[in-house]
Amino acid sequence: MIWLTWRQHRKQALVTAIGLALLAAFMIPTGLAMRHTFTDLGLADCVRKLGTDSVIAANADTCGRASVAFNNQYGTMSMVGILFLVLPLLVGLFWGAPLVAREVEAGTHRMVWTQGVGRRRWALVKFGLLGAGALVASVAYGLGTSWWLTPISEAGQHGRFNVFFFDMQGLAPIGYTLFAVALGFFAGTVWPKVLPAMTATLTGFVGLRIALATLARPHYLPARVLTYPVKDATVQTNPAAQDWILSYGIRDPTGKMLTSNAQIACAPDATGPGAACGSDLGITPGSYNWQLYQPGDRFWLFQAIEAGIFVAAAALLLYLAIRRIRRIA
Amino acid sequence: MEIVLETEQLGKRYGRTWALRDCSLRLPAGRVAALVGPNGAGKSTLLHLAVGLLRPDAGVIRVLGQAPYDNTSVLSQVGFVAQDTPLYRDFTADELFTMGSRLNRRFDLALAHRRLEQIAIPRDKPVGRLSGGQRAQVALALAMAKRPRLLLLDEPVASIDPLARREFLDALMGIVAETGTTVLLSSHILADLERTCDYLIVLDASEVRLSGSVDTLIGEHRHVTVEDLVLRHLAKGASA
Repeated sequence: MIWLTWRQHRKQALVTAIGLALLAAFMIPTGLAMRHTFTDLGLADCVRKLGTDSVIAANADTCGRASVAFNNQYGTMSMVGILFLVLPLLVGLFWGAPLVAREVEAGTHRMVWTQGVGRRRWALVKFGLLGAGALVASVAYGLGTSWWLTPISEAGQHGRFNVFFFDMQGLAPIGYTLFAVALGFFAGTVWPKVLPAMTATLTGFVGLRIALATLARPHYLPARVLTYPVKDATVQTNPAAQDWILSYGIRDPTGKMLTSNAQIACAPDATGPGAACGSDLGITPGSYNWQLYQPGDRFWLFQAIEAGIFVAAAALLLYLAIRRIRRIA
Repeated sequence: MEIVLETEQLGKRYGRTWALRDCSLRLPAGRVAALVGPNGAGKSTLLHLAVGLLRPDAGVIRVLGQAPYDNTSVLSQVGFVAQDTPLYRDFTADELFTMGSRLNRRFDLALAHRRLEQIAIPRDKPVGRLSGGQRAQVALALAMAKRPRLLLLDEPVASIDPLARREFLDALMGIVAETGTTVLLSSHILADLERTCDYLIVLDASEVRLSGSVDTLIGEHRHVTVEDLVLRHLAKGASA
């Protein structure tokens, strides 16, 4: 079985290996360059000084100028990174979906399932080996991307909790990849033709990913609330904390939202145009800034929860696929 | 007399239509049996049930005394050549035989090699580039290398030209004579079966119309050829 799996899928394995090598050839030099610039601009020290608390003193240096310099130079990198989001899906489409669908489409399932090996064992070995291959590739990819993205996230352009940046690094892509392969495998047992199986995989993958990212992920753990005064503010939010801000605004003393998606903080002795401190905008005295957020230090916990959900979904699909495969003739 | 394949009131349903119904038959060892009937009569269904790809919805099927569904101990003693002789087209014959030797506890590589040498089929060429007749021969060699006690063939000659068909059936007869395997071969090309088979099962509209040894049947029914015999029973089924 192992020999057969290798013989049938060696081309896919080779293409994947080449893809990963190309990715590494792009990410390692650019990653090193970004880290150099990050240190040269003094961002590394500056960010370290800011720490990871959600609020910092109002007069603290938020590394603004260096961040702008860094983002000017590497702003496009984060756009390139978004292209990597499709990689787990590609593995599902080209490894998972044809697994059963191509056999049935060509009729070869009747040849291979009537050798001396039962269908369940065939399915387990095939999925086991392909899954292991997908696991290795996705671990290399997930952790590599984490390393590559660190300076971009720390420079404050896109925190690592950002919906795209969360999805392309760490443990999450490992879960996505295994899920995509299992989904393709299962789809092939329901629609035993390659194209419909690929379509179903695409739809199911994108659907579950969007549903979880938008509806479920903000609630994996109860969000926290942070408040600080508008007037006489002695604190400000810390960009280096990389908190995931779910919503924010200004509330009056009774708690009524005055204006959402706005933050105002005026120093105690403010003068000049900003000294009115929003009173001309209807901000009443005693109003305060309010934000609902997931703390940045929950990042790896959220990564583990996200990956766990997708691995569990993959296990369920694998179970269903093996049940279904016994009914295909 | 050993019974290799036995069914009792066997039925298989797809949704609400029965593909096979009330099928009772016994195939004794050492026979070369023809499974005859029009398209859609349930021939493939019966063969798929016999090789364990399908599970019966009614009745019983026993192959070598055991229920074949999901049963690898039956599978290792049964050779199967599916309709259109499916093979991995990018594999060479040698690679297919390697696959066979790895997926089966017993696999006679020497027999497979000898078979292809006799008919001069290259073993190092992807089978997708061989002719249909040659591919059928590779599929037969692959199935026979298991040294099966029962060989099932689903329309093995339907899609190949008459010359290749004759060669295939000659090869089949040769291999049966050599190994003594029991064979069940489905076809709707009656003329081919005349020379090859000594046992006949006629299937029509998902039911068995006739089954028995060719000699006995011809003796009983006083028909000159197998073809007459089959056609007469199919016509009877249609008028009934």
